[in-house]
Amino acid sequence: MSKVVDRSRDLGPFIPHNDDELIICRCEEITKGEIRKAVRDGMYNLTEIKRYLRTGMGLCQGQTCSRFVRSIVAKELGLSPVELDLTSARSPARPIEMQTYSNEVW
Amino acid sequence: MIAMNNHAEVIIIGGGVIGCATAYNLAKKGVKSIVLEKYEIGYGGSSRNGGGVRQSARDPRELPLAMYGVEHLWPQLSEELGVDVEYCQKGNLRLAKTEAHLKILETLVESSRSSGLDVGMIGGDEARKICPYMSDEVIGASWCPTDGHANPMLTTLAFYKKARELGVRFITGENVREIRKLKGQARQVITDETIYEGDIILLAAGYESRAIANTVGIDIPVQRILLEALVTEVQPRMFDQMLGTAAADFYGHQAKHGSFVFGGSTGLEPYISEQYAPVTSSLTASSTCRGIIKYFPVLKDAKIVRTWAGWIDECADHVAVIDRVEEVPGLVLACGFSGHGFGISPTVGLLLSELVMNTAPTLDLSALRYNRFKAKA
Amino acid sequence: MKRYELIVIGAGPAGLSAAIEAASWGMKVIVFDENALPGGQLFKQIHKFFGSKKHHAKIRGFRIGETLLKEAEESGVEVRLKATVMGIFANKEITVMNGDHIEHFKGDNIIVATGASENMITFPGWTMPGVIGAGAAQTLMNLHGIKPGNKVLMVGSGNVGLVVSFQLQQAGCKVVAIIDASPKIGGYGVHAAKVARTGIPFYLSHTIVRTAGEDCVSGAIIAEVDSHWQVIEGTQKELEVDTICLAVGLSPMSQLARLTGCDMFDAVEKGGLVPRCNEYGETSIPGLFCAGDVAGIEEASSAMIQGRISGLAVAKRSGYILANEFLMRFVSFQESLSQLRGGMFGIEKKGCVVTQTDEGLPLSRTLLQKGYIAEAEIELFSGSKKCKAKGVHPVIECTQNIPCNPCQDACRQGCIIVGDQITSLPIVTDTEKCSGCGMCIISCPGQAIFLVDDDYTEDSSAISFPYEFLPLPKAGDMGMALDRSGQEICPAEIVKVRTGKGMDETAIVTMKVPSEFANKSRFCAIYTES
Repeated sequence: MSKVVDRSRDLGPFIPHNDDELIICRCEEITKGEIRKAVRDGMYNLTEIKRYLRTGMGLCQGQTCSRFVRSIVAKELGLSPVELDLTSARSPARPIEMQTYSNEVW
Repeated sequence: MIAMNNHAEVIIIGGGVIGCATAYNLAKKGVKSIVLEKYEIGYGGSSRNGGGVRQSARDPRELPLAMYGVEHLWPQLSEELGVDVEYCQKGNLRLAKTEAHLKILETLVESSRSSGLDVGMIGGDEARKICPYMSDEVIGASWCPTDGHANPMLTTLAFYKKARELGVRFITGENVREIRKLKGQARQVITDETIYEGDIILLAAGYESRAIANTVGIDIPVQRILLEALVTEVQPRMFDQMLGTAAADFYGHQAKHGSFVFGGSTGLEPYISEQYAPVTSSLTASSTCRGIIKYFPVLKDAKIVRTWAGWIDECADHVAVIDRVEEVPGLVLACGFSGHGFGISPTVGLLLSELVMNTAPTLDLSALRYNRFKAKA
Repeated sequence: MKRYELIVIGAGPAGLSAAIEAASWGMKVIVFDENALPGGQLFKQIHKFFGSKKHHAKIRGFRIGETLLKEAEESGVEVRLKATVMGIFANKEITVMNGDHIEHFKGDNIIVATGASENMITFPGWTMPGVIGAGAAQTLMNLHGIKPGNKVLMVGSGNVGLVVSFQLQQAGCKVVAIIDASPKIGGYGVHAAKVARTGIPFYLSHTIVRTAGEDCVSGAIIAEVDSHWQVIEGTQKELEVDTICLAVGLSPMSQLARLTGCDMFDAVEKGGLVPRCNEYGETSIPGLFCAGDVAGIEEASSAMIQGRISGLAVAKRSGYILANEFLMRFVSFQESLSQLRGGMFGIEKKGCVVTQTDEGLPLSRTLLQKGYIAEAEIELFSGSKKCKAKGVHPVIECTQNIPCNPCQDACRQGCIIVGDQITSLPIVTDTEKCSGCGMCIISCPGQAIFLVDDDYTEDSSAISFPYEFLPLPKAGDMGMALDRSGQEICPAEIVKVRTGKGMDETAIVTMKVPSEFANKSRFCAIYTES
């Protein structure tokens, strides 16, 4: 499947929805409307959305919201959610204090 | 036949901060470009750097670019692009823990001062006055009050957003295979899917630039190296300075939203770039944490929420190649930024637009030419 | 660096089973789990599991957990608790957070068995205190002895929603309603029926619109949805609840697997992004396996078999087992797994509309829509057919093809037949042999078996049913008989309460009701002094 995406594709104007105020990423308090606007600003994949808005950059690292963000972005772009790759998984799997991280045992 | 909409005055290969900034500058001047990106906007070094907007400790060849940017471009960049790029101009501290470190810093300071930069050496206590959270291990530092930092990911996306609004066509997921010369001129860009054509081809594809340049017989001594960084959970506001060390083994700052972002190295990076995908090593984060705690004991309880690794392009002499290649008319190179291209990206975008349009350059770029690589006498 | 032949990440049903299997072939195995207790979700599963004997059917989840732990210890598996795996790196190296330090380990093989996390849905107020996952509610109640709330709305009618609703009632909470956006109940009919007869109403084709309350949940506004999941205006109603439990599915916790760079794919039927695995659970990276929910959402019973298979494959890969030995055991595990995956809720039927049973009987529509079987429907099923005129006999209200057969083993008289295919519906036969022992009632994980004695007295019948609430009633107590929907239908007198060690906390309560209510009465509300 071709991954080529023309970013100049016309998505039409931003039409406000009555649930735009809904919090989607609770760690970073990012709303549905902000995500929908970011797509209109050209952020067509989940990595760009994350970098643009900080969705999934908080304590839970997107554990809860990545599914929501994906379906919102997919809907804006007229895609099926599975067509959008999730953002990369990152170590550490859980938040860890620097002190602990620095104390290595072999 | 090249599809009509696959033709533009300039084809830019690479949707990183350099490609986006150049497309934006060109669009401002009415020059149409198409930007081709293999992955996503800001995939390479643009999202893999410490966010430093720094003039101090720059190579004299690129220092003027850094100084020009800090003076003329960074202060109003957020306003100009319509996105807060989190530019914070509160100075840069480069720390020393040993006499040897101090020597390194003194040399760097001397060099920068001779180019007209306001930078000087300060003692440990003075450094702690600027940044009270620093440990007593720091015995001195270089201090450049006009340095700062910004958010590299947002800056890249902001250039992209604005350029897109001005009509630049961005195509992601386009893997460039080849640059092809037609009638003596680099004109075509062949991708996996199609062919693009332009009067000028700008190659700004980070560590992938070398292989692409090779297709028109140009080689640039650039290799990829692995960079790793870590990010903490949000912390109370502690300091605004950009931080680095004389040994250049770690750097970082506290971002606007409160997380600390620190980069660090183990020295093994050049040897782990052969892997299939850029992934973090099992060693780096722990090593970086030890470094941070030595300098900033207060951060020992801060939690790391994520680490990342990525390749960046490293040039043989650690400074970028920015040039209109004489050998191949129509080809412009902008690569090999060696991990410090972000801070100078607004300037580079401006200069590249001039280079592409063949207009009078704002700054002299002759020290960054492609043909500078010669064997030592 | 400390090196093991097998590192297992996650001490849940899949991980422990994998470790036990590999260790039983002589391998040096270590298991890491971030929790203070092993067992994954098993120790909060206080209900009896489905399946057949070899699947630990009719055993409560936490007891299966205890058995697994014992087996792990006996087979020499090293289990490290409160040990969080932070990352998987090149050459199968992992880093583990353990107390105040990070420890490095390497494995010849790694089995990732990290399980799943609960999904949420968004609605205004979803971030408010009082909105919790159903699994979280279960943890609070069953591991920590804390009531998650007093009045609860359950969102989601899958097995998790149904099982947790029942447990909430057991814990003394009132489940005000179970809602689901789908027009039919998602979980097993027997689970639905056991909550329906305690009086919990189902609102299907309903969604939660928003919460009520300023700082915490004081209510939930629900509304009906059309076939496009859009709220139908004017159907909103407010339920007075202090807790909203979300049982809206699970997602594989595949982050650690993803860190390795193994091939992943996104599959709705697996619950999200999962590693691409072969039939042994091996990913695209040789020696890296995934087992259990992390490789696709199923349930604990199949996770245990998947774990066994991966452990077996690792033992083969490491030279501990010969090819033919491996094959025999693998085939038997696979058969066992395909038994569990059979039936109308099986993985192959996911997304299909099933309208009749394998036997060709029409599925009960009231069961799918209201959570209980209509009296007229139940008579079609051979589990409730009466073969003799007099005396006690079992009535089995099990009308869907689910993989389960303990009732067959329970009846020593041979009155209950499921057959070789464990998803077949039970048939009640030779009821004149029924001794009324009640073993079938105890053995049914779905609490779907009743003993009915139509000739208890001249004008009354005795209904025996499973009872798992406290306080237990005692003979002589009076109450009201409840029908399958939980409606009070007639006065009832408790005539017998049977408990015992072999009954595993399920009491058999027998109530006397007027004969005309014998086919309607399935539960009882006991009068209390207050």
